[in-house]
Amino acid sequence: MKAKKKRNWRKWEPYLLLAPGLLLIVLLMGYPLLYSVRLSFLNYNLLTPNDIHFNGLENYQKLFSNPDLWLIVKNSIIWVVVVVFFQFLLGFTLAMLLNSQFRGKGLYQSVAFLPWAVSGFLIGLTFKWLFSQHNGVINFALQSLGLIDAPVSWLGSETFSMIVPIVGMIWYGVPFFGIMILAALQSIPVDVIESAKIDGASATQTFFKVMIPYVRPTITVTLLLRVIWVFNSPDIIYITTAGGPANTSNILPLYVFNQAYYSMDFGYGAAAGILMMEVLLIYAMLYLKLTSYEKAGDF
Amino acid sequence: MKVKQFLVKLLRFVLLAIFLFATIFPFYWLVLTSFKSRQEINSPEIHFWPAEPTVQNYITAFKQTRFDVFIGNSAYVTIISSLLVLIIAILGGYALSRYQFRFKNLIMGIFLVSQMVPLVIAIIPMFILYSKVGLIDNLLSLIISYTVSNVPFCMITMSSFFKRIPVSLEEAAQIDGCNRFQSVLRVVLPVMLPGIVAVFVFAFTGCWNELFYSIMMINSENLRTIPAGLMNFVQKYDIDWGQMTAAATVTLIPVTVMFFLVQKHIVAGLTAGAVKE
Repeated sequence: MKAKKKRNWRKWEPYLLLAPGLLLIVLLMGYPLLYSVRLSFLNYNLLTPNDIHFNGLENYQKLFSNPDLWLIVKNSIIWVVVVVFFQFLLGFTLAMLLNSQFRGKGLYQSVAFLPWAVSGFLIGLTFKWLFSQHNGVINFALQSLGLIDAPVSWLGSETFSMIVPIVGMIWYGVPFFGIMILAALQSIPVDVIESAKIDGASATQTFFKVMIPYVRPTITVTLLLRVIWVFNSPDIIYITTAGGPANTSNILPLYVFNQAYYSMDFGYGAAAGILMMEVLLIYAMLYLKLTSYEKAGDF
Repeated sequence: MKVKQFLVKLLRFVLLAIFLFATIFPFYWLVLTSFKSRQEINSPEIHFWPAEPTVQNYITAFKQTRFDVFIGNSAYVTIISSLLVLIIAILGGYALSRYQFRFKNLIMGIFLVSQMVPLVIAIIPMFILYSKVGLIDNLLSLIISYTVSNVPFCMITMSSFFKRIPVSLEEAAQIDGCNRFQSVLRVVLPVMLPGIVAVFVFAFTGCWNELFYSIMMINSENLRTIPAGLMNFVQKYDIDWGQMTAAATVTLIPVTVMFFLVQKHIVAGLTAGAVKE
């Protein structure tokens, strides 16, 4: 009798343990997202708080007729692709370099991974200062090397405005990729590489035919997740260029924030948020499909 | 052959040096600037070492802003949120790794997808909700939102840590007379310490560094967290780089110290779920 009761109780244990997390996510992430679907069909402006009413697709029409929307979408894509590409390339190189023994490796590794702990806010600030037009050290270095004649306005020019945030973001993400790929490389059993050598594989062959296939699942998961994180992290852009000049460095998440914070047109801002959510949703489905997460390790 | 080996070694050394330089230089430049005088910072001549090192920037940063208050607020919000995240992640992570139950895949899917949802996407509905319950300009709003946003990733990471601990360890403790709760508390959690540290630090840095909610939900100067408080420096047309870099250097200290202390655990934590074993 007692045993049976205990058994019944056990059945509920996992749900009880998961309840706090699940409730938080459903109530404070799920519900707000649904609520913003509703908001996106309302005329809801904080400047006219007494005039909240249903206005159909007006917010979406306004959003899609915004001539800058496509620039912002394009920037978002450039941002993600360029940043993730270089983070990966440099992170992979770093991991390969660290996948060997040398003196002082522990200390080197700690220092090399430090950027990961720094906030987007501080990175934005630091790179804004490094690239400052008049007394920034980058312009000074480029001028001393004779690569440019006059100081470049990195943040104020429409042509260059994406460069500083992108460089900052790459700097921030290289260690993360380095950590992940290094861990994957070190999980390759030594005898696998040894036996490849015994079978007469050259270093290049071992690298492409043995090591790469071995770390590919990790790399796929890391890359796919990284795309989302980079897309979702507009802090560095906000601090360096604030999306300007003339939206030339603006991306979708930052646009959503600016609508919420500066224009106070909550209906329109919610519509922009929904557009962003759809982009993420499509990507998330693709991600789950590509990784078939249960097999690839549940990151 | 020897020449080739030497060249490989040389190339590795050069590349390592370049990486090190690229990593350190921005930090160096930040800290360096904070010790320069105003005139030196604004002069077109660039010095790689301060001509007359001064701590004036630190003094003015603390005097002219309520920087000490910002630090207190950040610490308060960050510590409470990360502890909440940790507890929730341990409970849920344990359930996900040790039990078979209905809807497990669905629940796992919810967490996997919700770790991709950025805070900023819900900023408008959350602002409305918080104003309805009177939490605007209240640090509790930040604690709630930071907890929510960090739970999914931390819980998934925590569950992969639990999976690495053999169930036999718990069973042995139970044979020795512990109940299930005791066996987890006294046997499993101590073994998991690296994972727990990693998850805590992950949540800590996430909360310590968050910017947008802090700007949106907090209006009073004396309730601002560090990033939002420092925005006042940045948004002025003429940024006072001396004060700014001094404040930034102070902000860097806790995260850097913590990172160095637990670096190994973080690496283990980040990679726990990603690498197939």
